[in-house]
Amino acid sequence: MHTSYTPDQPTARPGTWKDWRWYFGNFLFVVPFLTLFIVFTLAPIFYSIYMSLFDWEILARSPRFIGLGNYADLLNDSLWWLSLRNTIYFAFLTAAGNAIFALAVALSVNQPIRGRDYFRVLFYAPVVLSVAVMGIILGWILNTQFGVLNYLLMWTGMPAVPWLSSPRLVIPMLSVATIWWTFGFPMLIYLAGLQNIPETYYEAARIDGANAVQLLRYITLPLLRPIIMFVAITQLISHFKIFGQPYIMTEGGPGRASFMVIMYLYQTGWRFYRMGYGSAIAIGLALVILFFTLLQLRFFGAGADEAN
Amino acid sequence: MYRTFFRTLLPLLLIVALAACAPPTQPPAEAPAEAAAPEVPPTPTPIVTEFGAGQLQLSYWHGLTGADGVTMQAMVEQFVADNPDISVRVEAMAWETYWDKLLTSMVAGSPPDIFILHEFLTQGYARQGVLRPSGDLYVSGGGSLPDEDFKPQLLERLDYEGVRYGVPLDNLGWGVWINRDLFEAAGLDPDTPPTGEAELLEAARLLTVDANGLHPNEEGFDANQVVQWGFAVNNPTNTFQSVLWQYGGDIFAGDDSLLDEEPALATLQFLTDLIYVENVSPPPSGFDALQAFGAGQLAILPYGTWGLNFMRDSDVNWDVWPMIQIGPAQPAARMSSHVLHLPATAEGERLEASKRLITYLSDNGYTWATSGQVPARFSVQEQLDPEELRAVIVFAESFNAQGRIETPHPLKQELNAAWQPEVNGAWNNVATPEEALRTANERVQDILDRYASE
Repeated sequence: MHTSYTPDQPTARPGTWKDWRWYFGNFLFVVPFLTLFIVFTLAPIFYSIYMSLFDWEILARSPRFIGLGNYADLLNDSLWWLSLRNTIYFAFLTAAGNAIFALAVALSVNQPIRGRDYFRVLFYAPVVLSVAVMGIILGWILNTQFGVLNYLLMWTGMPAVPWLSSPRLVIPMLSVATIWWTFGFPMLIYLAGLQNIPETYYEAARIDGANAVQLLRYITLPLLRPIIMFVAITQLISHFKIFGQPYIMTEGGPGRASFMVIMYLYQTGWRFYRMGYGSAIAIGLALVILFFTLLQLRFFGAGADEAN
Repeated sequence: MYRTFFRTLLPLLLIVALAACAPPTQPPAEAPAEAAAPEVPPTPTPIVTEFGAGQLQLSYWHGLTGADGVTMQAMVEQFVADNPDISVRVEAMAWETYWDKLLTSMVAGSPPDIFILHEFLTQGYARQGVLRPSGDLYVSGGGSLPDEDFKPQLLERLDYEGVRYGVPLDNLGWGVWINRDLFEAAGLDPDTPPTGEAELLEAARLLTVDANGLHPNEEGFDANQVVQWGFAVNNPTNTFQSVLWQYGGDIFAGDDSLLDEEPALATLQFLTDLIYVENVSPPPSGFDALQAFGAGQLAILPYGTWGLNFMRDSDVNWDVWPMIQIGPAQPAARMSSHVLHLPATAEGERLEASKRLITYLSDNGYTWATSGQVPARFSVQEQLDPEELRAVIVFAESFNAQGRIETPHPLKQELNAAWQPEVNGAWNNVATPEEALRTANERVQDILDRYASE
């Protein structure tokens, strides 16, 4: 059976020349994006996989094919495991913190209060900062010796805290700085989700005597579940790729306490010229991200099934 | 209740956000002295500057963005005035940015006509085939630069497989800056540097003072309320290596890492103990030693030749010593060099013009010395005015007598990145000196083994 909305619209499966012409016309609209995507994203991905199979020094004229040698080295590389451990710690801490904090702020600025739009803009504002600006500002605030935070602490008679120079504190503080910088985006996503929840649900629940906590637990959170999943996955992926904050604020220190995978990748490729091994690090990180993303999908997917 | 809850939360969040953004407008009356940073105005160097109107334009890149960059600009300006057929586009950028841009330009096949590398990078770049040999600029190769006018060990470091690359612009390196007023207040002679572990420790104790005026070896000393530090353990590249050589050790020799040997442990243990046992130095992470020195809160600052303009701009009654000898084996101070290089693609009249500029910069090292760097040429060092450039003379004599250049290796950057964070980790209590050196030794050995197997 031929189903169509307009006389010119083709079948779902193109069969006639007319159908193909119709589809071709549509494809033309995505060609500019597709071209850029292929040239600047897809091709580099496949090219980096190709490079990871070589002993490829960036300036060398003839890379040497070594098969999976770079990956074998990666498995025995203590710096890879150390940087991966730091990165996983940071990514989970920041993604979880961001998801919770952004939700709390979104719930706040979703209330019908005076100046609500002003607060939304204010809380979103740090997102527009570049990582360099954010890193320098937060670096000043958290500096042990001359930082504003320690200045205030010492003013009140408390000792200075080595926010970025203690191996135990450095990743949590980088996480706090990153949350302050990035929570505006998930806040907006949450806001969109919250505004899609019909007010009638809350009214009905209030009539039944539900309090604020119950409204949050039994209406808001279950209906926000797809949004929370989206935020959790995108945040985790995003924070696995941390580079600018430790590069600017701590240089990976003290020691290697905040040395992250992308820093190692950058160092390997651009300081040691080992593009082949750097590509293997990149592919390794992509596989780790993929693994944790699948875990999240499974976790949230199972939860969604239970909720249904 | 639901709304009340969030109406309470919202102002709290707002306060947190504003508190994070806003520095206090008025300093507290009794704020501790550590919190006050000195105001030393920086001397900006333009990122891109074009000099001259000559038809043949050279591009010259470097990472000299501090006050020394301004001196370099002045030298290039004088060069184009003397050579009106040439114009020069100078691009000065922070070293981190510079390395990325230089590498990218080489990969793209469009490197600058002249660029600067530190001497320890020369072999690595030469190995990649991106440098043009510079032997023909020296007298031994038919040029005008007298070979014997340069430190022989420095020229050796510019050789890769028997070919010389680059022309040293200067000898930069490590020494000690002191605050004379703090020495005199402590009853110490600022003209007599301490020698050996015991003398340094004794001086550093007298120069370290807590909020109650007590020294680290006195009962009741509060290590959390130090207002004046005696010494600053900092910079693995320079301080650790200099002291390691003084103990008779090195990072590696041939294909073997030496970081598991006694000199390395003795060096790291002593320097780490200055922080955590003797309390005469702060942990380096989070402590800006240069700013603390400028604020009069640090008496002995191991620091480089490039600190001269900072010292001139500060209010401190400063002086400079050669690197003090802490280890028992021999005096040693790490030194390096900014080396002027030509790309492998250089040819024709651009090459000849580039050679003229390099020769000019080398011949006019006196102007370069006013930036605080030691000119590479002995003949220029001999002309330095003791009144105007005493610090440069002290460094020059130190480098000629005890200056030591890092052991060369084509994978030098990778080797340094393997051990330096571990030493930094020990100094910041991330690991014990033994653990740090064990890890550093393994990492350095891995790199040496990989290179040996290629």
